[in-house]
Amino acid sequence: MDGASAFPYPSFFSFPPYFTLQPVKETRDKQSTLWGELILSFCKHFKIFIIAVEEDSFTLFCNPSINRKLNLEARRSFLDDLVKEGNALWLDASHQKCLILWKKVQEWASLIHSFAKTYGLSDFVMSVEELSSGDDVRGTDLQGLHREILIRALKLLESQGKAKLFQGATPDEEGVKFI
Amino acid sequence: MRRGVGISGLQHVAAANDNYKKIGNEVKQSNLQSMKNQMELFRSKLEEFALKHKNEIRKDPEFRARFHQMCANIGVDPLASNKGVWAKTLGIGDFYYELGVQIVEACWATRESSGGLIELTVLLRYINRRRGKLADPVSEDDVIRAMKKIRVLGNGQFEIVTIGKQQYIRSVPGELSMDSNKILEQAQVKGFVSKSEVVKVPGWSNARTDAALEGMVKQGLAWVDDQAPGGERLYWFPCLAVNQQS
Repeated sequence: MDGASAFPYPSFFSFPPYFTLQPVKETRDKQSTLWGELILSFCKHFKIFIIAVEEDSFTLFCNPSINRKLNLEARRSFLDDLVKEGNALWLDASHQKCLILWKKVQEWASLIHSFAKTYGLSDFVMSVEELSSGDDVRGTDLQGLHREILIRALKLLESQGKAKLFQGATPDEEGVKFI
Repeated sequence: MRRGVGISGLQHVAAANDNYKKIGNEVKQSNLQSMKNQMELFRSKLEEFALKHKNEIRKDPEFRARFHQMCANIGVDPLASNKGVWAKTLGIGDFYYELGVQIVEACWATRESSGGLIELTVLLRYINRRRGKLADPVSEDDVIRAMKKIRVLGNGQFEIVTIGKQQYIRSVPGELSMDSNKILEQAQVKGFVSKSEVVKVPGWSNARTDAALEGMVKQGLAWVDDQAPGGERLYWFPCLAVNQQS
């Protein structure tokens, strides 16, 4: 993975018992808090938006150097806790795919709204796709933002009266107008 | 004095004994007084010494420790009172009071990673780092002295616990049982134990081992690990981990 060596793993990542879901509640709460923070910062660092829980493609859940990995139950438990805090969302009923919100939906919405204001985009219809892949977003947090989050943020802005979404015939033709 | 016989003889002996006692007491009194005088002299010399070397005492942990030893030898406790020469002029009381506060703060800050039991050397490193390069460095001896003062704060909190060859500071209430202590001693080598190795120790039945290990897990002193090669559950102790999160 690009820049894998540059990610600052915390010291607990090398401590074997952290990869076993702890039976005592107080200890598990500590464990969950630490893993939750780690998941968010890892995803933010590598711009990962979706975790496929059962696959080992998300490398954070394994530490080969100490021969330990989080089992399925542990992964779901920590992700459930992130969901409770508003920092994640399950995308399916069987909890296989988890959308990671290192910024909460409201924060993304605010970011998009102020971006629109900065670029004087009010009353100007732009394609939804431009918001995550246009030239203007290059180098910002918006670049590469996953569609699942983008749409939710825009819908939130719409409900707040700050934007209006337009359906196109295809996803490419979805538009948004900032008010 | 010739030993008399009969009642008058006895009376003589009794009178002689009384005399000896009286003289003995007088000698004792005068010895005691001169001893007291000597002590006073020592005390005032010590105060003089302390004033003269005030800076060294503040800055040099080793010098400070020797100074404390000198005081202890003649029964003076410079930290005993907030008043008087020691507190006002030397400010030694302040030094230890501040350190006491820093110890409490350090214990709280590291509680998450240590489970309320932290190695003295690790705590010391944390405190010196927090005090910064410009502050006077503190030694283990200083921490132990300050601990004696802050012990009064807790219900059995802030105790120094010796496990094997190491000293730890316990910052959570609740005694560390002898059995927990013994298990930690065993775990010191690798940072963890398994039930099967504890049971090998003479006197440790299955039941006793289970109780002790489960107790420590419940207290948050031990974390379980179910992925060890061989399949047996391992019990790890964050307080023994070398790389404390500090």
